[in-house]
Order: sequence, then structure tokens, then C-alpha cells
Amino acid sequence: MEQRTILLIEDNEYNRKIVRRLLSRSSYRLLEAVDGEAGVAAALEERPDLILMDVQLPKMSGLDATRLLRADTRTKDIPIVVITSFALSGDREGAAEAGAAAYLAKPYSPAELLALVHRFLPE
Amino acid sequence: MKLEHVGTVVLTRTPIGALVRWVAGIRASLHTKLVGAFLVVTLLFIAMGAFSVRTILQTSDQTRQLEQAHERVAWSQQIEVAMAHQMHYAGLALLSQDEASIARILRENNRFNETLAKLDAAGLPEQHDLVEQIRAGQDEAMVVVADMANAIRDRNLGGFIRELLGRQERVEGQIAERVALLVEREQARMVSLRASIANAHRASLVTTATFAIAAVALAWLCGFVISWSFIEPVRQAQSFMVRVGGGDFSARIQVYNRDEFGALAKRMNDMSEELGRLDRIQRDAAAELARLNARLEQASSAKSDFLASMSHELRTPLNAILGFTEMMVEGLYGPVPEELKEPLDDVQANAKHLLRLINDVLDLAKIEAGRMELALHEYSVPELVGSVRAALRALAVEKGLEFGTDIPGDLPPARGDDGRLTQCLMNLAGNAIKFTSRGRVDIGVALEDARLTFRVSDTGIGIPPEELQNVFAEFRQVNATVTRQFGGTGLGLSISKKFIEMHGGRIWAESRVGEGSTFFFTIPLRVGEQIEWSSAPSSS
Repeated sequence: MEQRTILLIEDNEYNRKIVRRLLSRSSYRLLEAVDGEAGVAAALEERPDLILMDVQLPKMSGLDATRLLRADTRTKDIPIVVITSFALSGDREGAAEAGAAAYLAKPYSPAELLALVHRFLPE
Repeated sequence: MKLEHVGTVVLTRTPIGALVRWVAGIRASLHTKLVGAFLVVTLLFIAMGAFSVRTILQTSDQTRQLEQAHERVAWSQQIEVAMAHQMHYAGLALLSQDEASIARILRENNRFNETLAKLDAAGLPEQHDLVEQIRAGQDEAMVVVADMANAIRDRNLGGFIRELLGRQERVEGQIAERVALLVEREQARMVSLRASIANAHRASLVTTATFAIAAVALAWLCGFVISWSFIEPVRQAQSFMVRVGGGDFSARIQVYNRDEFGALAKRMNDMSEELGRLDRIQRDAAAELARLNARLEQASSAKSDFLASMSHELRTPLNAILGFTEMMVEGLYGPVPEELKEPLDDVQANAKHLLRLINDVLDLAKIEAGRMELALHEYSVPELVGSVRAALRALAVEKGLEFGTDIPGDLPPARGDDGRLTQCLMNLAGNAIKFTSRGRVDIGVALEDARLTFRVSDTGIGIPPEELQNVFAEFRQVNATVTRQFGGTGLGLSISKKFIEMHGGRIWAESRVGEGSTFFFTIPLRVGEQIEWSSAPSSS
């Protein structure tokens, strides 16, 4: 089975570090982008198998980026997990409306994230 | 209405308007003015009476004079009669030549003299001469009679008769002439008296009528002028009141009155000015308040914005701390030395507590800024309660508590913000488990009149009655030690209360110290899209 690719679009360095560490023992290939525009570009370029998208991003918001990728035929089938630091009502609807496959509210535990990744990409 | 119109025309088109203003401007009380007008009219009537009395007295004097003249004419006629008798008896004496006839002549002469004396006494001074002439004529006639008597006595009448008769006739003629003159004068006088009386009557009639008309006209005028002198200010006062009542405090009354109405107008102007002043003060105060309010709202909104972004900024590194700690605890960085396990757990517990605090503060800030909105969904009550139970069961089991639920089997689908309601129920049930060391914790639900009532009861330490009112206030746990001993942010109940109220519900608690507490909240089964929520301003 070929190596699965996960694209993490996250501006916070420490959050990226956590995910990097979490997935270090797994078989996934991890790509990282630090803002919405770079994230969309990387997604179109690399066609990852799963995208982890932070909501609050510089240059382009996570929801806008999600909408953009959903509208593009090259990326419309890639599942996107939207991650927000606002565990607020409305965000879940926003994520679903933008076309996210799942929604993960911060603070999430590393175990939760790992479980979600396994759900979409069983090792 | 029509009469009033006439009044207005009279006021504006005639000098009476000026008179009204003049009367209004008299510096006297209304009572004095009314009494004055009454006195003027009364004086006019008194003058009229006096004039009438004078006329009556005058005419009665003339009437008396007229009567006297009548009397004098009658006497003159008697004199004429006496003279005729005298003539008759003289003729008889000459024919019969006896002295008895002479005696009769003398008797008539006496009557003549008596009447003449009365005439003279009652006569007017200017007729005295005429009376004297008549008397002289009579004396002369008496001389003739004496001669006649002597001739008869001497029987020597013969050739004298003609002469005597002639003398007699001449003298009598003279007397008759003078008497006639007297009568004529009296009659002329009577005519003039009658004319004078008639004139006096006519003049009296005209004067009385004139006086009466003048008095009535004056009474009308006084009434009109005085009444309009206060109708005008009353009307002005009325329109003034309408303006002031309508909020126009620049309204002023301009009246000519220097009486009670003048004083009243001044008072009303003062009042209007004072009202205007108070109104300005009040308006200024309201504007100042509005400014302050706007600034406060701005400050409050800035505070909320600050809190919200602060919370967000705080949470991002905190998430990282939690993530790294958990990965360390989970052994992702290699095995954890035994002596580091407890401090790592403490770091994790404190970081979680800090995150809860930040989340609660963010929630409160949003609620107070009016930016918290409910996300309404269809939800299942048994599922909601089940998720809470599942989340807390481990904690209850760990403390050795019974944890039960009591939910009716036939509950219809509900509508509300299930996330927030779960948060509330988690809060209540979490507290119940926290504050109970023995016994049980139960979650119950009841449906009545389309309202859901949730109940969380425990057999814990209970809440003193004096604290029961305060449990929903911010940062209120029964005391500070409790917070340290049991954890919790002290904001959970306060936030729960706000969420329940946003659902159009109510939250309350019952408790007995040492026996346990029961918390209730009741919300509509199906919460509408539009929720009236009045405990915070909806500024956005």
C-alpha cells in the first residue's frame, strides 16, 4: 500500500510540532502549510489524502480555503477536517456548510486527533 | 358662538377695543373695576331721579299758580257780577226811589270790596295798580250811590236821574273795562303757564328717556368692556396652556391687564420660563446621559472585545501546553521517569483548569456583550442526558456514587441549543458529583405544558439558605476553600443561568445543609427562532 499523504494547514508553529510528533511514528507523509493560500496551493499541487485545516489562518481563512478546494474538481473528493479554537455554536455549521468532512474543536487531545485521522485513513 | 363673533368684530373694528385695553390696564382689582362700573351706572340713575324730582316740583308750582290764576279769574267774575247787581239795584233805587234799594247797593258794594280785597291779597304785585284803579272806580261809584241816596232822601231826584245814571254808567263802564283787563291778563298768564307746564312735561319725558337709554347703554358698555378685559387674557391663557402643554416653553402671554389677570399672566410666564429652564436642564442631562451611555457601551464593548481576543490568544499557547503535556504523559517522547509522573499530572490538571476558566470567561464576555447567540437544533432529550451521564459516569464511579437518570419514555423531539444545554447539565451534574462524597446523584426530566424541567439532585453537603440566592452569581462558590478543595471555575452556574434565560427558561435550587441539593431548570420544549432575552443589551 502506497504511503498516504496528510496536508496540515496551521499557522501556529507549536500546533504543527504536536501533529508532526503525533504522526512521527505513523506511516503517513506529512505536508505542512502556514497560511490559507499556501495551503490551497499545496493541496492542488500534491493532492493529499486528507487535509487538516485550521479555521483561523492568515491570508485566507480556513473556511474560505475549504470552500475553494471543494469547488475545484481536482480536490473536491479530498476529505477536509476543520479545526477551530472556538468551541462555539455556529462553527460546526460553518464547517459543514463549507464542505468539511469533520470538525474538531480545540482544545483537542492528541489522542482525539489521531483517532480522527485513523477514521479517514486506516493504517 | 355668533355673539362671540360680534364681540370680536366690535373689539377689532371700533375704539371699544382700545377702551377694553385701557380698562385692562387700570391698576385695580377686578372687584374694584366691577364696583366702579356699577357705581357709574347707579350715579347715572340717581341723576336721572334727581332731575325728575326737580321737574315734578317745578310743574307742581306752576300748577299751583295756574290754580291761583283760575281763582282770581273767578273772583274777577264775582266782581263783575257784584257790579252788575250794583247797577241793577242802582237802577231799581232810582225807579222805586226807596232807601231799601240803596241798602242792597251797599251790600253788593261790600261783597265787591271783599272780593276785591281777596283779589288784591292773592294777586300778583304787577296787578296791584290795576286793582287800585278798580277800587278807585268803585269808590267813585260809591260817591255816585251816595249822591243818589241823598237825592232820594231829599226827594230831589227829578232832573238828577239822567245825570246820576250817566255817571253811574260811566263809572261802572270804567270798572268793567279794568276788570276785563285784569281777566285778560290772568288768562294770558294762564296760557303761558299751561304752555310752560306742557313744555316741562315734554322736556322731562325726553330727559328721562335719554337718561334711561344712556344708563342702559353705559351698563352694556361697562359689562362688555369689563368682561372682555378678562375674556381676552383667559383666551390667551388657554392658547398659552395649549402651547406649554405641547412642550413649547418659549410661549409667553402678553396682556394689558394690571389686575388679577395681569398677576396671573406674570405667574404663567414665570412658570413657562421655569419649565423651559427645567426642560433644558433635563434635556442636557439626558444628552449627557446618552453620551455617557454611548461611552459606557463603547467601553463595555471594547472590554468584551478585549476579553474575547485575550481568551483566544491565551488559548492557543495553552492548547500547545496541553498537547505537549499529554504527549509526554502518553509516552510519545519516551518513558516518563516515576518521579516526574505526579508533577506532569499536576501540570496537566492546572492547564485544563486554566483552559476551563478562559472558556468560561469568554462565554461570559460574549453573553454580556450580547454577542452570544443560540444555535437552535432539533435534539433528543434522552440522548442529551445520556451523553452527560456517559461523560460523568467514570467520575461518579470513581467516587463510589450511584448515578441514575429518570426520563419519561415518550418525550417528543425538543428544539434548542443542545450544545449549551449539555454544557448546563454537565455543570449541574458535575457540581453534584463534586460536592457529594456518599450516596447518589440523579438527573430527572419532566414535561409539562410544553415545558421541560430538568432536575439534578444529590445527597451532598448542601448549601446554607443564605447562600442559596448567591449560587448563580459570578465567582460564587459557597466559599473560597470549597473552590480549592473541589475545583471548578465559579462561573459555571452563572453561565448556565444565562443560557437557560436565553432559552426563555428559569433556573433555581433547593437545598438542606447535610442532606443534599436539587437544582432545577425549566425551558420551553421547543424554543422559537426569535428569543427575547433582556438581561444584556443586544448591541450587535
